Amino acid sequence: MDPGLANNSSSPRPRWRKVAYGGMQPGYDDNHTDESFLEGMVMNASVVKRDMLKVMLDSVSISEYLCIVALVVLVWTCTLTSTIDENSLLLIDVSLLVSGFLILLFTQEMLSLSLLLHYVLNISFFITVLYVLAPIYQTLTRSISSDSIWAVAASLLVLHLFLHDYSESTVKAPGVLKNPALTSCISVNASVVASVFMASRLPSRLHVFAIMLFSLQVFLFAPLVTYCIKKYSFRMHLCFSLSLMVMTLSFVYMLHRLLFVVLLSLLVFVNVVCPYWLIRIQEYKFEINGPWDEAKLCFDITD
Amino acid sequence: MMMGDPQKHRILMVSDFFYPNFGGVENHIYYLSQCLLKLGHKVVVATHSYGNRSGVRYMTGGLKVYYVPWRPFVMQNTLPTFYGLLPIIRIILIRERITVVHGHQAFSTFCHEALMHARTMGYKVVFTDHSLYGFSDVGSIHMNKVLQFTLADVSQAICVSHTSKENTVLRSGLPPEKVFVVPNAVDTSIFKPAVNRPSGPEIVIVVISRLVYRKGVDLLVEVIPEVCRLHPNVRFIIGGDGPKRVRLEEMREKHSLQDRVEMLGAVQHVQVRSVLISGHIFLNSSLTEAFCIAILEAASCGLLTVSTRVGGVPEVLPDEMIVLAEPDPGDMVHAIQKAISILPKIDPQVMHNRMRELYNWHDVAKRTEIVYDRALKCSNQNLLERLSRYLFCGAWAGKLFCLVMIVGFLLWQLLELWQPEDDIEEVSDFSLPHNCDEDMLEENPVK
Repeated sequence: MDPGLANNSSSPRPRWRKVAYGGMQPGYDDNHTDESFLEGMVMNASVVKRDMLKVMLDSVSISEYLCIVALVVLVWTCTLTSTIDENSLLLIDVSLLVSGFLILLFTQEMLSLSLLLHYVLNISFFITVLYVLAPIYQTLTRSISSDSIWAVAASLLVLHLFLHDYSESTVKAPGVLKNPALTSCISVNASVVASVFMASRLPSRLHVFAIMLFSLQVFLFAPLVTYCIKKYSFRMHLCFSLSLMVMTLSFVYMLHRLLFVVLLSLLVFVNVVCPYWLIRIQEYKFEINGPWDEAKLCFDITD
Repeated sequence: MMMGDPQKHRILMVSDFFYPNFGGVENHIYYLSQCLLKLGHKVVVATHSYGNRSGVRYMTGGLKVYYVPWRPFVMQNTLPTFYGLLPIIRIILIRERITVVHGHQAFSTFCHEALMHARTMGYKVVFTDHSLYGFSDVGSIHMNKVLQFTLADVSQAICVSHTSKENTVLRSGLPPEKVFVVPNAVDTSIFKPAVNRPSGPEIVIVVISRLVYRKGVDLLVEVIPEVCRLHPNVRFIIGGDGPKRVRLEEMREKHSLQDRVEMLGAVQHVQVRSVLISGHIFLNSSLTEAFCIAILEAASCGLLTVSTRVGGVPEVLPDEMIVLAEPDPGDMVHAIQKAISILPKIDPQVMHNRMRELYNWHDVAKRTEIVYDRALKCSNQNLLERLSRYLFCGAWAGKLFCLVMIVGFLLWQLLELWQPEDDIEEVSDFSLPHNCDEDMLEENPVK
């Protein structure tokens, strides 16, 4: 027999062991439950204790992007009501492009002359294609009523905001390997489609070109720019976001009172209510880990 | 054989997984049934049809198998229809005069449905859980709810290891004293060590598993080149197939180990022994494992096992027969080096003899028999008492479960009216002459 078992049998009741081999353990039923039962269970191992202030500061980047989208919609409405003409729109485009470039240039050290040239080449190609395609965009949805276009554009924007990747930018800085997630790709596409729909309601080709350029610049590159600012200095990011919020709120106030109230309450909800909520629901967290979990590999698999 | 046990059970084993499909659960059901038959019980197996194998078949020892004509739709699982199986399960239960229904495997829909109907009809129900589940991903959360539904009302449950018991208790909310631990076993008469062990300076490490993520193939990809670099006399034999095979082949090309890593592809179960006995060390790199029969088979063939310390693996073998390592390439290489250093002290025949003492299907059957006895002693409950148990399963789920059970009960009553129990013919029992397949299962050598 097993020497271990033989030794144990001299004592009246051998100790129960947590083993599966050797048949039924003498003196114990198979449903014996030791005090070591569930000893290996760990509860809430990966729960992070969150600080209210930190969560609030982190949520600023969400409201920042909300304001950016609100500003885009503001520009759209102004263009549709002809408050802004096509020349000033083009001026806005150029100034945005230049300021965006400058911010990238200052916040990222890795930009070289050749990379800059590469950027300029790409963007000029992009602008040319957009200009050539502008007539197509203008007549794209002529047979569809304006109401449906507004409805679709609005829901696409909501989808865009819902799926947007607020932690980093979908359009990557050069040299980043990681591929964006599917949801953030859908988000970017939704915003582009919304811009196309919007642009198709405009009276002239130049209008369409200017507004498309504006929307695409903002939707594709604003996340990258804000991400770079945030990485460069968190303080600068906060100042930038706050000024953006004040600017947006004042513009919206001039446009419509009710929209102002809606935007303001949305910002309060995102920045104050949600962080408080998140911290409150932490106590309901119930996470179980133990020896039955699938082991995690401690290295990256490169397929 | 008849030990004077007064109670002879009539058991129905239900699971989606049975021969001709092959795996741990199938093996378990087959060997357990054979040994229960030897103990004098009546055993019937119900599973879904496999290809054109449908209807009633008899297997070795008079084991009757119902292949219910019910198509599997994914991974050998039947489509969950809730009530589709009720008529045929009812007829099988009545015809065979079943007393205990024993379901296997948590992700078998056939098993869950059959157990549900058996409970509706007032039968005693035992469930065996063969796998481990986490609590974090969506699939596990869904599975755990389904398991909670089935287990809310079982008479007794069986797990294959203590870790699996902890897991099942947490997932289903069963009281721990209702959950028994009855491990798997291995047929040591099939897995015998080689008469002439491969000698010489060369050390062969064998890996036999499906080549999938859960079996830790990515660990192997890291470990094999390192071991080959450290020990020029080590050779690997890898049996099995799967989506991760490409990764292994890439690794072999990259480190030019074609002459030292042999890939066999899928290995038939009958050939497993011949592959095992060509090696000295068995390597298991699973990331999760409730029990791991492969380790038993290897140890029974006299191989020293190196395994990851996951799930129920540490409980399976005594410390001197296995070298455990954390699921991390560095630690595994270390464990393999340790195994190589203690290899000269290992005598395969001694290890095989030890395994014959440690694991035996007859022992498993006897322990399962005790569980059946306990299940039959459980009090009968009416529908209302049982519904209250389902109601505790969750705010929404509880009510849903109750609804499912009530509809099942009504359908059963309807069937009783449409085809009364007395109209169903009962099958007469027959017993095989006892000596016809005595060699099929090895008798316990330590009487």
